[in-house]
Amino acid sequence: MYKLELEKALEKIKEVNAKTVCIQLPDGMKPRANEIEEAIKKDTGAKVLIWLGSNFGACDIPLGLDRLGVDLLISWGHVKFCKTEGWP
Amino acid sequence: MKTLFLEAPYEKKIKLDSKLIDYLKNNKFQRLGLFASIQFMDQLEQVKELLKDFTLITTKVPRTMHESQLLGCNTYALNVEEVDCYLYIGDGNFHPLALVLGQKDNKELKEVICNDPRGEMKILTVAGIKTSLKKYRGSLMKFFTSKNIGVIITIKPGQEQFRPSLALENKYPDKKFYYFIDNNISFNQLENFPFIDTWVNTACPRIGFDDQEMFRRGVINLTDAMIAEKLLTQESYLNQG
Repeated sequence: MYKLELEKALEKIKEVNAKTVCIQLPDGMKPRANEIEEAIKKDTGAKVLIWLGSNFGACDIPLGLDRLGVDLLISWGHVKFCKTEGWP
Repeated sequence: MKTLFLEAPYEKKIKLDSKLIDYLKNNKFQRLGLFASIQFMDQLEQVKELLKDFTLITTKVPRTMHESQLLGCNTYALNVEEVDCYLYIGDGNFHPLALVLGQKDNKELKEVICNDPRGEMKILTVAGIKTSLKKYRGSLMKFFTSKNIGVIITIKPGQEQFRPSLALENKYPDKKFYYFIDNNISFNQLENFPFIDTWVNTACPRIGFDDQEMFRRGVINLTDAMIAEKLLTQESYLNQG
């Protein structure tokens, strides 16, 4: 029902020459993680780590990926979040 | 590490419910506050064309990238010009509920009409959130009389609000504030700190409303903690009980 936009993902991986990629999906798209993993591996050879946890929004970026040597995080279902200090 | 966001746009054509136009006309809703979640933004111009008989009020609300984009956390400061109703294009209840919650401090609530992209409309009523708003008001009152406050801060970079939360100490010098750090809020850990009278949430504001049940001692959002007295005394839907 929602476009994966895999071509954009593959293009970015090649552009930044990422060797290890973490993919973060909203719950509704998580069943397609294998499809994404296979496409990335086949087209770019990059190692794919699938984020198991939450994806509440662009405010909810996984922490600690640098320590695992992740070069690129691809997060589906959101657009850049313009954080404001305090609310609103 | 670099980050790429992919918006996952809706792959089919958005349909409007065949009853929507008549419903808007019959209710004399002329000025529509138009919102959509990011998956539907790329088709919004076509939607506007279908609604050309109406005055569409669009605005860019906090934290978003685009005009008319709605986030689930847009429960404060919608600052939308006078509208007759809100029209949300998208699926699910999470996002449009922000439009209901965002009106809790108004005297009257404007109707929130949701048009599912498959062409089914529904009206979001406040009935579903009445209990949580009632509890929220109770928590606001409890906060006011509480001595020991637990301030929950998330380490998620997009949500972390540690510095703004320190303003609570100046605002309420008679209260003792304890600061708790977490990634996702561990609800099952809250009872391990029985000395806390009321919690203040500084993470996603939806936690303060949607997860009231998870906080036995009550929780309010940081924004509301800073203006608790005003919120409890002004004429508003929240205070109508």
